[in-house]
Amino acid sequence: MSYLSELSDELGAVGIRGSRGRRIMAEVADHLASGGEVESFGSPPLIAQRFADELATAGTRRLAWLSFVALAPAGIGFGLLFVLLRPGPDITSAQTLAVGLAAAFTMVLAPQIALASGLLALALGWRIRAETVAPAAAVRVLRRRVALAIGCGALTLTAVATYGFEYSGQLPGWWPIAAYAVAGTLLLPLGVAGIALARTARLRPQAGGMVTDVVGEISQGQPWRFCLLFAAAVGLVALVGGGLDEGPRNAVAEIVLICASFAALGRFLGLRT
Amino acid sequence: MRAETLKGHLDFLLLATLADEPAHGYLIIEELKRRSAGAFDLPEGTVYPALHRLEQGGLLASSWATAAGRRRRVYRLTARGRRALAGARREWRGFTKAVEAVVT
Repeated sequence: MSYLSELSDELGAVGIRGSRGRRIMAEVADHLASGGEVESFGSPPLIAQRFADELATAGTRRLAWLSFVALAPAGIGFGLLFVLLRPGPDITSAQTLAVGLAAAFTMVLAPQIALASGLLALALGWRIRAETVAPAAAVRVLRRRVALAIGCGALTLTAVATYGFEYSGQLPGWWPIAAYAVAGTLLLPLGVAGIALARTARLRPQAGGMVTDVVGEISQGQPWRFCLLFAAAVGLVALVGGGLDEGPRNAVAEIVLICASFAALGRFLGLRT
Repeated sequence: MRAETLKGHLDFLLLATLADEPAHGYLIIEELKRRSAGAFDLPEGTVYPALHRLEQGGLLASSWATAAGRRRRVYRLTARGRRALAGARREWRGFTKAVEAVVT
């Protein structure tokens, strides 16, 4: 097998195909034809892995920023819609009660998970900002955080549009139209971020090393203690912000949701082992 | 010089090599060897991932050119790459001056 065909196979094995793969092959062929020697170029597995490690690190890090930029307008649009809605409609007045309740519950849970995952992705992206090659484990965790943030952002916007439809009889006439427009417009940047994630996810980095994250350092090996402290802080904010009527109920709901989310997603997001 | 020693400085060296004029991968590697009098001896293929990464980061731009019937990718510094190079030069000069002052 020739050097070039072996390199082509190795590039494919680490997930580099299509235009990027063709470009690398053309560059290597030109290098060798210009006088470069196979022996001093490096072994095909080494070169292919180097490409995968470096491109995955740079691409995933950029993706953390891109996803947050895509999520920020979704968060602002979502917030504005609900600030302008108060007081909301009777929760039991949906056209189909189960769908209305599911949309309302999703609108409470999904944006919080999107925000938390997005911030965690930013924190890890910042941590590896100067790395040429980050540990493959860190790249995988970063991809998962970005995927969850984008997914929950899209779910939130879909729930907003569904909520507008389900409660249209009880809402001001402009609200469902605004909800459809906000959801339709702001799903586009999330779609772009999703496509970028799918492209980066094809790369298979293998660099060794541990994931070192700001959350891991704060929790000092006791992730549940960190979760409980965080939940208590958020619960306190909800208690104060909700006043005497809604404060205690909101605080308990926040604490339960944070702990349940941590139990369900903590391992997936690299927050606990 | 071992490739390990060079690793942390490769980006800076590549940007500096491209400061005067655009070049393709083989020429960049030859220029690195020439300017260092052969001291920078690393697997040549590892330069290409770094070039792709620097381009992904917006420090380099590249385009296809044809020479002797072959397509080749020519790299050039972007404005952002020039700023990064100027910063890296300042940092390097400060560092070498400080080390020099200590070790001599």
